[in-house]
Amino acid sequence: MNFQKVISGFFFILAMTTNFGFFYGDPSNIEFHSSWELFAAIVVNLIATILKLGDKTQLGSVLLATSLVADIQLIGAASVWALAVYVLGGLNLESTVVIISMSGGALLANIVSVLLFIGDTLKSKR
Amino acid sequence: MESNSAWIIIHRMRIPILVIIVTFAISIIGLMLIPGRDANGNIYHFSFFDAFYFVSYMATTIGFGEIPYEFTYPQRLWVNFTIFLTVIGWFYGIGNIVALVQDKKLARELAVARFRSKIKKITEPFIIVLGYNNVTREIINRLNSEGIRIVVVDKDESKIEQIELENYIPEVPAISADTTKPQTLKIAGIHQKNCKAVVVLFEDDIKNAKIALMCKLLNKRVDVIVKSTTKENTEHLRNIGIRHIEDPFQIISDRLYFEITAPYIWLLEMWIFGHILRIRKREFLPKGKYIICGYGRMGHALANALQRAGIEYVSIDIKSSDYKKKKQSAIYGDAEDIQMLVKAGIKEASCIIAATKDDMINLTILSTAKKLNPAIYTIARENSLEDISIFKSARIDKIYILERILAKYTYNFIANPMANKFIRLIHKKDNIWAMNLVGKMSATIGRNPSLFEITLDEEHAYALYNELQKGEKIPLGVLKRSRANWKSDNKIMFLLYEHKEEEGHKTILLPDDDLLIQPGASLLVACDERAREDFEYIINNFYELYYARYGKELHPGFIGYIESRSKAS
Repeated sequence: MNFQKVISGFFFILAMTTNFGFFYGDPSNIEFHSSWELFAAIVVNLIATILKLGDKTQLGSVLLATSLVADIQLIGAASVWALAVYVLGGLNLESTVVIISMSGGALLANIVSVLLFIGDTLKSKR
Repeated sequence: MESNSAWIIIHRMRIPILVIIVTFAISIIGLMLIPGRDANGNIYHFSFFDAFYFVSYMATTIGFGEIPYEFTYPQRLWVNFTIFLTVIGWFYGIGNIVALVQDKKLARELAVARFRSKIKKITEPFIIVLGYNNVTREIINRLNSEGIRIVVVDKDESKIEQIELENYIPEVPAISADTTKPQTLKIAGIHQKNCKAVVVLFEDDIKNAKIALMCKLLNKRVDVIVKSTTKENTEHLRNIGIRHIEDPFQIISDRLYFEITAPYIWLLEMWIFGHILRIRKREFLPKGKYIICGYGRMGHALANALQRAGIEYVSIDIKSSDYKKKKQSAIYGDAEDIQMLVKAGIKEASCIIAATKDDMINLTILSTAKKLNPAIYTIARENSLEDISIFKSARIDKIYILERILAKYTYNFIANPMANKFIRLIHKKDNIWAMNLVGKMSATIGRNPSLFEITLDEEHAYALYNELQKGEKIPLGVLKRSRANWKSDNKIMFLLYEHKEEEGHKTILLPDDDLLIQPGASLLVACDERAREDFEYIINNFYELYYARYGKELHPGFIGYIESRSKAS
């Protein structure tokens, strides 16, 4: 068993699942989407990104790219949320939908990342 | 991402960044969970944004105070804990960055990356010089003043710093690296198309051969200029396809041979290296008996030359290191030494050569010899350029400086390849031929003609090249003509003409005036300053070329059109 793989696999998959947890539910109703879950998704995604740094292989570069996409989308969602609440004076339907759909985009990137990771693991003989 | 430096930074910064992310997350969560009280005493909770804002300025020790409302005690307890948590995490990260800046490995990678980018930016042909010492310094100085681009690699960091202090223009990129490794040569750009040559002039023959072989394997087209002092090694180098092998002892041997048997060939060769075109009286070597002191590689080479020239000689084997050990001094000339010189026949000898490896011994040998026989001709080998002023004031008739000879030959090979070919060709001629040529040159040009070489291509001879490409037939004599009067010739002579053809080079020594020029041919020219100016005008300017050919002005435009029409009819 490769301990390094356990750690990175754990964070890659956790990044995807927390992201899904936030994304799941009625996209027009913010009550179904906990800000805690968004926070957890951002932190776990950042950690996953750092873990992907420093891998010089072709696959490593693609993994890093997917993670960066997820980070940008999730942080974008959080920024929209903060902007709506503190600057625009409260969430409306439009900003809610933007937040949820951005996290949806991040989810896609995370799914791609996990698929690549699993594919690479299956290919490996050790 | 090609450079290693970026990877080193990323790799080293992974853990610090992870630590910062985790400490931030813990602090933010804690702040949000603990209830606070606003100004009216109502309970409120930090929002994510508030918590992030507060932790950001707290962790970086900026500290704007307790906002939005004054903290309660449970909050302060938590903040107290997080201060230590985040500040330590943050400092750990900053400490890592500082350590990275001082990191030797990273500094090295950055230096390599800078060096690589400098070499990639060189668009003109360049030369790699391995090792920075007295010889290569002279080569670099001369080539640099000609504007030829050079790249230097030396093992020694302090020497690289010296190069940086020299302020060469154009810049000479330099790096310290192990010159015996292929990786180093790759960094120095041996794979680049515009890498023309590699100069390998180390003391150690085996090291030279190894590097030369490596260069040839890495890039077949590159010229390798390599020093080799033994026959076997030279043979070996030739077998791997190296054309230019420099044996300083062989060069000196040839020089001595020609100086005795054919002084005018020697003169022509020396003229190419900057001597005036006249033999001074004291430069004629005597033809009597020679004594060679020091019978090492140099002594052997000189003995070989004397043998070929049919001169009687005696050699005294003095090994400088043994001599110093035995006598505890580097001053030659005690009773035993004098006896040895007398026994070798110093009284009736006409020339003595001091060829040991030690400059002091060489000087004292010659002064002792002069005491015993004041009329004797003295020749010294000088080993290091630093002692040159002592030798100059010692009134020695002739001095051989190995380092300088090596430097001049290498420079010539790179900057004046035609002159090099000329030397090889005249070595096959005899003294009478050379004397006639010297006489002719002094008569047409004067005592000190200057020398240059030129390729008649579009870049260097625009007008001539274009006319030739149109199929015009222009004889070489046209280029000699004066711009003031086309019927008289300038003070100019063509020594060598070379044209690349499919089956090889066509080389003509002293080409005739009616030889038809081929586009792209190369010329070795001896002339004075005015002639060079005229020559360059004629080959570059259509009007001047026209005048030199036909003796009248070329009229452009409408008049020219009518003229050409009337000529055609």
